[in-house]
Formats: sequence, structure tokens, C-alpha cells
Amino acid sequence: MLSLQILANGLVLGGLYACIAAGFSLVWGVLNVINILHGSFIVLGGYLAFFAYVKLGIHPFVSILIAAPLFFALGYVLQRSVINRMIAAPVLLSLTLTFGLDLMLSNAMLAAFTADFKKLTLDPPLGVVSLGPVVLPVDRLAAMLLALLLTALLYLVLSRSRIGRAIVAVRMDREAAALMGVKVKEVYAITFGLGALMAGVSGPLIAMIFPISPLSGPVYLGKAFVICVLGGLGSVPGAMIGGLALGIVESFGALWFGPEHAVTLSFTLLIVILLVRPEGLLGRKGYA
Amino acid sequence: MKPFHLPAALALAAALATPAAVAQDVIRIGAPLPITGPLSPEAQKQQRGYDLWAETANKAGGIKVGNKRMKVEIVYVDYQSNTPRAVQAAEKLITQDKVDFLFSPFGSGAAKAASSVSEKYQVPTIAATASSAQVYDQGYKFLFGTFTPNDTLTEPLSDIVRKQAAGVQRVAILARNDLFPLAIAQEMEKSAKKRGMNVVYFEKYAIGTLDHASALAQIKSQAPHWIFATGYTNDLILMRKQMADLKIEAPVVTMIAAPAYQEWIDGTGKLSENVTSAAWWHPAVRYNGKDIFGTTENYVKAFRARYKADPDYAEASASAAGAIFQLAIEKAGTTDRIKVRDALASMKEMTFWGPVQFGPTGQINSLEPPVFQIQKGKPTVVHPPAIRQGELKLGVQ
Repeated sequence: MLSLQILANGLVLGGLYACIAAGFSLVWGVLNVINILHGSFIVLGGYLAFFAYVKLGIHPFVSILIAAPLFFALGYVLQRSVINRMIAAPVLLSLTLTFGLDLMLSNAMLAAFTADFKKLTLDPPLGVVSLGPVVLPVDRLAAMLLALLLTALLYLVLSRSRIGRAIVAVRMDREAAALMGVKVKEVYAITFGLGALMAGVSGPLIAMIFPISPLSGPVYLGKAFVICVLGGLGSVPGAMIGGLALGIVESFGALWFGPEHAVTLSFTLLIVILLVRPEGLLGRKGYA
Repeated sequence: MKPFHLPAALALAAALATPAAVAQDVIRIGAPLPITGPLSPEAQKQQRGYDLWAETANKAGGIKVGNKRMKVEIVYVDYQSNTPRAVQAAEKLITQDKVDFLFSPFGSGAAKAASSVSEKYQVPTIAATASSAQVYDQGYKFLFGTFTPNDTLTEPLSDIVRKQAAGVQRVAILARNDLFPLAIAQEMEKSAKKRGMNVVYFEKYAIGTLDHASALAQIKSQAPHWIFATGYTNDLILMRKQMADLKIEAPVVTMIAAPAYQEWIDGTGKLSENVTSAAWWHPAVRYNGKDIFGTTENYVKAFRARYKADPDYAEASASAAGAIFQLAIEKAGTTDRIKVRDALASMKEMTFWGPVQFGPTGQINSLEPPVFQIQKGKPTVVHPPAIRQGELKLGVQ
């Protein structure tokens, strides 16, 4: 019975993790930019939902629809105006750039929202559903379903639409794609916009579940790193699989080895994967 | 730079190079704080407490030193929630910023680490947020603390629960693996066992844990009567929420230290109801102090006027640390570090914070910390009887 509950906990946690990591993985895979801003984008999306709910009574599920275009625009403009200048430079430079931008963003949030932890508490709460002996919180369940949906959408966009094919083409071979008439700069900006969008829409989900503070971005970023390595870079299904795997490993790790070792276990797994399957569970060699 | 700006620039450089020369009539106290990083909310509380004291003291003309009055200045250094950097920050404050006295960095772990620096340079240091006895048992002469040992929180709590809920037998403890939260959990285990209760679960969780579902599911399977969880605000908001997610109910749920903070109550909403906690101080206590703030009521009033909020124990402790320095300096009649240290060691004064007397290790031993419970969204003191505002209620769901 306990194992069933733990498995369910791991799955819903994993869904949330997948949501956190999908955009990060996309940007890293396509642009070869390690976007340190990703964690703070999530937190910013969380604040958007928090204030929309507290001040205007807008439900966080609705905030997701507001966050999506806003964050896409933010990411698009940021890529076009700032990050694009660094795109051809070695990965360490763009990492430093987004690190700097992240410092600015998190300190701006610190000034605007104070360092106090805030938690979006729904009234009435969404409650829980019981499936036999297993109890599942509705907010996490919804987050998992939404993560699945968003990931599926992103996958469809990448595999079916013209712009999606262009993104994949640029990811495979930038020069060849450019020669085929793909506007690489445009593709980069759209990809970065999509990455920011995924971060921004995870925010309202996160704010319903975790207390947020302007400086909690790095925690989510750390998870995103592990998930990308687990699942494989730049692969949308990879982020999903990586997220679910991490959620389940952490949950059973806490059960078997005690909660103090759950995090250690996930990083041990990271090292093992890097050693035996560096391209990740679903990644393809050479594309990252 | 244009030539006519040069003299001004030189004067500025000279002023910057010799802070001691311009600051003769100022008492400088160093405060290394985790202003950025995960502990930043705690740093903000410390800062509010210190600033309120410094402003109040300066408004009254400053600290009386012999027959003159000296203003106070608090010098902050950010150590980014990183303990090794807290030690460096303390050393920098003493050697470069030439502060006269020091406040410890936040929490037991960092306070202990930095205490060796203040001991080396013989700088009287007051720790406003360090309770663990291990911080003070190093034989140091210059470290003083405003928190009583951890068992002074768990002992009265266990007494009340034993007295009012005889059926409470099975205790589950979940502790953040961090110096203070773990130490208080271990005290709780001792207090529970001493009273014949059965500790059915005792686990630690790592700092930065994002999910407590597994640990809580295990706790649920043990059907405990008393759940005792430790951590800081974000840990305990998340944990309380996940307890509800897993439909965990128990007659008694205690969380330390977060419920003393309004953010925790705001963050958990209705789930805060009937959660018990204990802290070293509460705005409801009533003392008639000889310090700059006087009565506890006066302190609370001054704090509200300045910050539009009620002070919690961490903020009050920071203010108390300042007020205690002031009492010691005024009694010593000098800013000589050795004499001020002796005045602290022999202090026996009433303050808004409570009676202040330091034991042989430097840790305060004169306080009786209140036990309280969140009732109708407000912290309600249930012990000690002298300041009780309500009875302990059973049942957390």
C-alpha cells in the first residue's frame, strides 16, 4: 500500500519536474545556451499568479494563459536584443551572460516582492482525490496533466509545424539550415521565447504547490539540470521521461534510504548516467 | 577627471581610507548577515531588529559612555547564506572595518563558526539567533547568546501535552538536517521518551528538499498522535501543505520554528489552525525592562510604528542584543572591549526581552520561553500560566 502511494507521489512530482525542465532542455539543445535565467523565470511566473490571485482573484489556471504570451514575448525580445550577441561565442560566455541577467532579475524581484516566502493558498482549496488507498492532491495532479499536455503540444509544434521543423533543423546543423533558407536568428528567438514560455507557465503551478521567494530560482534550475542529463538534451519527450524518472527515484529514495538521502541519490544517478549513457535516456548522440 | 575635482577626490579617498578617524564618537557594531541566498528572509528580520535598536538609541542622543554620549552605527556585511563566508565577514569587520563589537551571523551553525574569530581578536559578540548548547561549550569568553538551550522549548511543551492529552503516546519526528532544527528534534525525542511516549518515527530531511511526500506517507502509516516537524519557513509551509495533501491528521502537530512568523500563517492559511510551537519570546509577554525600550509593550509599539507589523522572536532578539550591548557599555562606562565583556558576563538586568543573565558558557539562562498555538489564525500563548491567553486545543486536520 505504502509503495503504491509513494509511486503516485513520485509520478505527480515527476510531472511537475518535467514542466520545469522542458523549456530549459529545448533552449540548451537548440541554442547551446545554458539559460541560468530559467529558474527565475519560473519564480517570476509564480509571482504573477500569486498577485493575480491575491489582488484580482484570478485563478492560477487562468494565469497560465496570461503568462504564456507575456513570457514568450519576454524571451523573444531578450534573445533578439541581448543573448543573440553571444550566440556564436563559447557556451561559457552565454552562461555568464544569463547568469548576470539572472542576478539582475532576482535582485529586482527581491526589491519588488521582498525576501519573504509567499504561498498561493487557494480558497477553497482544490483538495485531494482518493483512489482506493492512494491519496492524490488535485493541484499536483492538474500540474502533471498540464505538464503532459504542454509537453505534447511542444512536441507537436516541433514535429509538425514549419517553424518547429526549422527549430529541429537548426538544432541538427546550423550552417546547413541557414543554407536551406532558414532564418537562424528568428528561429533562435522563437526557441528562446518558447523556453521562457514553458518556464512562465510552470510558475503558476509551482506557486500553488511550493512557497516561493525571489531567490528560490536556483532550486528549480538544479532540478532542470539533472532532468536534462537524465532525459537527454533538447528532446521534449526526454524532459518528460527525465522528470518522471527523477520524481520516482527521489520518492523511493526517501522511502528506502531516508529523506535526507533523496537529493544525494538523484545526483548520484546523474553521475551514473553521465558515465554509462552520456546522451541521456532519450537523447541522440551528437545533437546536443 | 577634470583637475579642479582632484582635491575633493583626494579628500574623499582619505576619508574612506581612515574610517576610524572620522568615526571617533561613534560605536560601531559589525553584523555579518545572510542578506542574499536562501536565508535572506532571516537576515531581513535581524536587520529590522538591529536597526530599530540603533535608531532608538541614537534618537535618545546615543549611548551614555562615562560622561559623554556616543552614537551607534551598525556595519552590515552580506555573507550570502554561506557559512565559511560568514567567518570571513566577521574577520573583515574586525580587522578592516574596525568595529568595536560584533553581532553573530544567523543561526547556531554560523554563530559557532564565527565565534572563534571574535575570540581570537577578543571582541565581545552577542548571538541573537543561536540556541544550541554546542555553540557555547567551546570555553570561549567573548561570546554571549540571547536564546536559552533547546530543551527549554521542548520540556514545557511536552509537559502540557502530557497533562492535557494523556492519550498521546506515538510521536513522529521529522527534522531538517541542519544544526538548530536537528538539535531541537533530538531534544524533543528526549523529552518524549522521558515521559514514556513512544517515538515511532525519527528522520532527517536534506536542506533544499522540495518534496516531503515520501516521509509524510511513512509517518501516516505509523498513525502517530503527535507529529513534531522542524525547519524554516519555506520547509514548514510546504510540509504543512503536503500533510493536508496526504490527509494526515493528528491530535497534536508541532512545528518549530516557523509558526512564530506571520509569513508561515499567511502561507498555510487555514491549515495553520491548532498547530503548536514554542519560541523564546512572544509579543504577548510582559516584562518591565531597564533597557532603552523599557516594557515589552513599549517595544511592540515602537516596532509597529516603524514597520507596521508585529515583531517576532527573531526580530525582538536582534533588538534585545543591541539593548544588552547598550546596558553593558553604559555599566562599564567605556567602550574598552575587556571591560564591556566583563559587564556582559556579570549582567543581571530586566529587559523588554525578559530577565537577562548569562550562564558560565555565555548563554542566557534566565528566560522562560512561551509555548503557543495558532488559534483562529493568531498565535495564542498557552504557557507559562502567567501570560496564558488560551487553553491548548487538540486536533489538527
